[in-house]
Amino acid sequence: MASVDVSELKKNTKIEIDGHPYTVVEFQFVKPGKGQGLYKCRIKNMITGAVIDRTWRSGEKFDAANVESKQMQYLFASADGFTFMDNESYEQVELSSSVVGDDKWFLLDNLAVDVLFYNDRPVGISLPSHVIMEITDSEPGVKGDTATNVTKQATVSTGYQVQVPIFIKVGERVKIDTRSGAYIERVNG
Amino acid sequence: MSPPPSVAARVATWDAALAAVRAYFRGEGLREVMTPPRVPAVAIEPWIEPVPATPGWLHTSPELAMKSLLAHGSGPIFQITHVARASERGAWHREQFVLLEWYRLDGDPADDVAALVARVLEALAPWGRPSTPPPDRWSRVAFLDAVRETTGGLALRGDEDGEALTRALAGAAWSLPPLRTTDAAARRLEAWTAFFTAWSDTALDPWLAARAGAGEGIHLIAFPEPLAALAERSLDAAGRSTSGRFESHAFGRELANGYRELRDPIEQRARFAAVAALRGAYGAPPLPMPEAFLADLTSPGLPVCSGAALGLERLVALATGDVALVP
Repeated sequence: MASVDVSELKKNTKIEIDGHPYTVVEFQFVKPGKGQGLYKCRIKNMITGAVIDRTWRSGEKFDAANVESKQMQYLFASADGFTFMDNESYEQVELSSSVVGDDKWFLLDNLAVDVLFYNDRPVGISLPSHVIMEITDSEPGVKGDTATNVTKQATVSTGYQVQVPIFIKVGERVKIDTRSGAYIERVNG
Repeated sequence: MSPPPSVAARVATWDAALAAVRAYFRGEGLREVMTPPRVPAVAIEPWIEPVPATPGWLHTSPELAMKSLLAHGSGPIFQITHVARASERGAWHREQFVLLEWYRLDGDPADDVAALVARVLEALAPWGRPSTPPPDRWSRVAFLDAVRETTGGLALRGDEDGEALTRALAGAAWSLPPLRTTDAAARRLEAWTAFFTAWSDTALDPWLAARAGAGEGIHLIAFPEPLAALAERSLDAAGRSTSGRFESHAFGRELANGYRELRDPIEQRARFAAVAALRGAYGAPPLPMPEAFLADLTSPGLPVCSGAALGLERLVALATGDVALVP
């Protein structure tokens, strides 16, 4: 496996630590006079998303993380997990429910996502920043209540429940932020 | 935030800074010299990597060439030159930077640092203002006293070997990783360098920043003997094992490093050898012993002298508040 010297680290370098792939988010070099250089890094676990701070001394080496991202299409859910397909090779991979986690609420049929492979094993997905979904269930708004900051609960086609403005009706489509899970806007047409 | 200065403003800034430095040193009786940037051997340092320039390297500082001039009777001299240090890239580090280096036969180079900061600030006033307070006074603090003050009372003698220092620091925030070298001199150097690195980062720098914030410049003097680098060793009044090495800090940044120079060629060779052993244990590429310099230390021999080196970009950046001054 390719080795990375700490002096070669920069933003977005992917390294392996204790068997986990990390990406460098922030990077700072400090060096006391005639002392050892210190590399102060903020790194993100590419599987769990956990962000940690680590300081390394010059001379330390890492293994490069064998990480690859492939655009794939979401096909279907089963009892064991979620199946995606590579549109070029038609190869299918299944990711377990625990790996997909809460991202499952935004998996619309045929949605294009980036599937992350670590040592050729699928370990996570990266959703588009927002998705457009149809409202399948919601109580009707109370007539005359038009204040914009009043919300109600609604359910979308995947079963996800989201707070939407009171004027949104069943059958309408809304844009949802996949990171916060929040309603963004109504989509017309 | 103000827009970055134009190229013309930066040229004018640097012209004023260089003129101020030259006027100061000529007023002090030093002569300006130039030594070639490609050298057959550099001073062997633990964590300073020279950039290869086959056959030889780019100098990491003009120290050895300038000391050879001194040995051959140059008298007091200064030089402004680009130097190169591989893989030093950061907010306050560049792989190539301008070093101002000088040597005098009498007088104290720490006083020169204080005077240079004042002169450069004055010369650059039309071109920018410091974003952190400039020093309006300077203090001298002995290294081992600063250790005691910033660690809640850690009392070191300065002559601890690798094992003794490891024991003294066990359980502290500055506890040492296992030493890799085998030779006693290298182990001592390795332990003290590791301590200095960790202590600088976690305790000394915040302490210096607080003092700098109150407008104080600090000369950290009397480095312990294992960290003497190329300075003469000495015992301080309390009988601690120290050296003639100092570092000057202003604006909360390290600006300069200086020595009362080591003149003994045998001890100098032994120190280079210890550094080489340390480098080897960490996989740094081997460097040749600077034989021509060591020969000059033997004969004609270095006169009694002191010297220092100051990072000129840092000073200009701090004096003008333009940290991107050097693109």
